[in-house]
Amino acid sequence: MELKDMKLRDMRKALDSKEISAKELAESYLDRIKKYDGEIKSYITVTEELALSQAQEAQQIIDRGEAQALTGIPVAIKDNICTQGVRTTCASRMLENFIPPYDATVMEKLNSQNIVMLGKTSMDEFAMGGSTQTSAFAKTVNPYNKGCVPGGSSGGSAAAVSARLAPVALGTDTGGSIRQPASFCGITGIKPTYSRVSRFGLVAFASSLDQIGTMALSAEDCGVLLNAICGFDMHDGTSSREDVPDFTAKIGESMKGVRIALPKEYFAEGIDDEVRQCVLAAAEQYRAMGAEIIECSMPSLKYAVSCYYLLACAEAASNLSRYDGIKYGHRTERECDSYEELIVRSRSEGFGDEVKRRILLGNYCLSSGYYDAYYRKALALRQLVRKEYNDIFEKCDMILTPTAPTVAYSPEKTADPVSMYQADICTVTVNIAGLPAISTTCGYDKNGMPIGMSLIGKKFAEQDIIKAASAFEQGFTPVLPRM
Amino acid sequence: MDMEMVKYLADLSKLEFSDEKLGETAQQMTSIIELMDTVKEIDVTYDAYKDNHDVFLPELRSDSVIPSMETAKIVSNAKSSDNCFVVPKVVE
Repeated sequence: MELKDMKLRDMRKALDSKEISAKELAESYLDRIKKYDGEIKSYITVTEELALSQAQEAQQIIDRGEAQALTGIPVAIKDNICTQGVRTTCASRMLENFIPPYDATVMEKLNSQNIVMLGKTSMDEFAMGGSTQTSAFAKTVNPYNKGCVPGGSSGGSAAAVSARLAPVALGTDTGGSIRQPASFCGITGIKPTYSRVSRFGLVAFASSLDQIGTMALSAEDCGVLLNAICGFDMHDGTSSREDVPDFTAKIGESMKGVRIALPKEYFAEGIDDEVRQCVLAAAEQYRAMGAEIIECSMPSLKYAVSCYYLLACAEAASNLSRYDGIKYGHRTERECDSYEELIVRSRSEGFGDEVKRRILLGNYCLSSGYYDAYYRKALALRQLVRKEYNDIFEKCDMILTPTAPTVAYSPEKTADPVSMYQADICTVTVNIAGLPAISTTCGYDKNGMPIGMSLIGKKFAEQDIIKAASAFEQGFTPVLPRM
Repeated sequence: MDMEMVKYLADLSKLEFSDEKLGETAQQMTSIIELMDTVKEIDVTYDAYKDNHDVFLPELRSDSVIPSMETAKIVSNAKSSDNCFVVPKVVE
């Protein structure tokens, strides 16, 4: 088996048995990055020297017989996660030269296992987008069709894993930004329960919605990486003290009797026919495994996109007010007559158009005269969405939906912001409710573009949805992009 | 959304737009607000107590001085002098 096609289990075995060295493994991915990433543009920063140095350290640990699950494993990191000493841009000119003075908690956890960091992957600017085309530095393409977007905002991580320029990657998901690019790029991606993974060191977009998650070629590999990054962190006031189990422990268990609900609103008008048919066929696969398929309803879906954007943009307007050009980030070089002018010019030069639109929307819905009609209403809708999920989960163990209404499309279609927002319809309720969800490939359209399905779990039930996704993957033959 | 509102929001957001960009942004924001107006179609009331009653005081750390980040690291992404951020001299 070629190194690029190995899952983590095979890599661990090969490293521990000395069949390959950590250096060889790192070099194999670094060589592939050199060969293919000029076209794919999944990385903003490739950390070749660091990767090789980390591989050397990892090898010493492997030689001592002290390897942990991820020792020597190459990992790609989305560029909104702080990595000490390594440029972290959030794909924005605002942070073009920002070098974090500290590691995010997830990086400390991964480094404690001696991973090999291949580099920082491209994304939509400040995680605001669904195509990675708002990146100021690398507009990633889809490895299945380079005329299509990889999805976003974790498009760089998704494309890197899909093109086998990294075996696993970290992404972040505020409104679908792990699941949707996983769907578009034909890989698996999981957003854990809100509060599972520390947000300390994650550059904030919307603090009540952001979560770091994992992306890989399989649900099992997503689970192995997720095991390493979860856990209570005193630096994150929203961090959960919930025990962290082995998320892969239920893989292989029978799906018999598992109740899977299909909310009818997710299969209605607005979803591409091929996507609908593919996900319904997957439901039949689960039925054949002995699962019980139940229909349910989520009427609040109609308001989900507006609820999400009002909450997310209000929080973003607040979070991004820290970028004033004083302490870090872009500072204008133009002469200014006041500090106000310095701040306004710095922000206007540093932020892209989509970021500016979302800040304007956020301040609009928080401003006097509009707060009750928009922001407070969105808070009420959030409670309604949570209640509807609770009601559905009384009668089922997990929920199955399409991950996105369409397959990946051409960059021209990203020009209209409203269409882009509406395309998040399948993913945002999960973030609003703080639930875990995993997307895995369930088929391909007539042009060979991947179609993803999402399994949404109860709070802290990542084991169950990883088990279910893995059960489907066992009987599914993926078609990887030819490279 | 009219131009006056966009200018007002730009001021709140500490952003500036050229005249051309202001027009384009006003059009885009109009469409975006039309989408956001969906929330007006449903009558729901926010229960603030439901969301804000579960902060457990015993879980907060004690109010004691503990090491934080070294000042040199904090100022490392800007021009600095004597552990202070250096900013352009502006006389208003």
